[in-house]
Amino acid sequence: MKFFHRHKHTHEHEMLDCEAVMRQLWDYLDEELSPDRMAAIREHLATCARCYPQYEFEQSFLTALDRAQQEHSNPDGLRNRVAAALRAEGMSEI
Amino acid sequence: MTDDSDVKRERDRHFQQEALSCLPEVTRFALSLTRNESDADDLVQETFLRAYRSWDRYEPGTECRAWLFTICRNQFLNSRARVQREVALEAPELEARQAAMVHDSVRDSPLEHTWLRADLAPAIQRALAALPEVLRSAVILVDLQDQKYEDAARVLGVPVGTVRSRLFRGRRLLQEALLTYAQDAGFVASDQQTDRGSDR
Repeated sequence: MKFFHRHKHTHEHEMLDCEAVMRQLWDYLDEELSPDRMAAIREHLATCARCYPQYEFEQSFLTALDRAQQEHSNPDGLRNRVAAALRAEGMSEI
Repeated sequence: MTDDSDVKRERDRHFQQEALSCLPEVTRFALSLTRNESDADDLVQETFLRAYRSWDRYEPGTECRAWLFTICRNQFLNSRARVQREVALEAPELEARQAAMVHDSVRDSPLEHTWLRADLAPAIQRALAALPEVLRSAVILVDLQDQKYEDAARVLGVPVGTVRSRLFRGRRLLQEALLTYAQDAGFVASDQQTDRGSDR
């Protein structure tokens, strides 16, 4: 097994190994898991020297992706344009 | 007693309150799709016009932002006459494991901290633009627009499992492209570069 250690980390509700955590890391970062599974992975990451750097790597990637989002240079101009188009369509005064 | 003009005024007020308040998010979504401000402006305007005309079909209480994203993306695909390219996808779990391999290839090297560089943004935008549309839309919806998998699935008209596969594949391709870019751009000194992908 090249990428995952097989350390077991016990949890009140369930036991997860590194491979299980890696399989669900994106779901964890996206907060798409059940509260129990979120807690189990959080606990595993807090004590696993192998998985935590992977978690940090993926988390900082998502942060970089979010920060790179392109912003409109003239949002007020676009808002006025959309409002004018809607008024022309018959919409009440905005 | 209310007359038609009161009904229409109430309908318009509701549209303004629910839909127009999403203008900043729809603008960012359109910009991510078109990668061009002028095209994004046209797309945003058309999205809101179509939403206004179809407002009676909007179900109050549902996620208005996701409804607008659906209209926006459909309009984008129609206007470009794009046929969605088929992308062979692995199971989400396999994609997640392959993402771990990306990190494994740079672990303990200077490239491990590439994402922290402030000057990576243009490269991220280019890499995002280069993704196949089906992967790009999944990444934009979840990572840039903070949509839950279920909402993204509704926008894209696919099962949640497909969203996960597309999202995880998209993220992995982005990471690979960005790490290659960082290495080629000399973000790390040549004597510090790792032999990415080699056995460790």
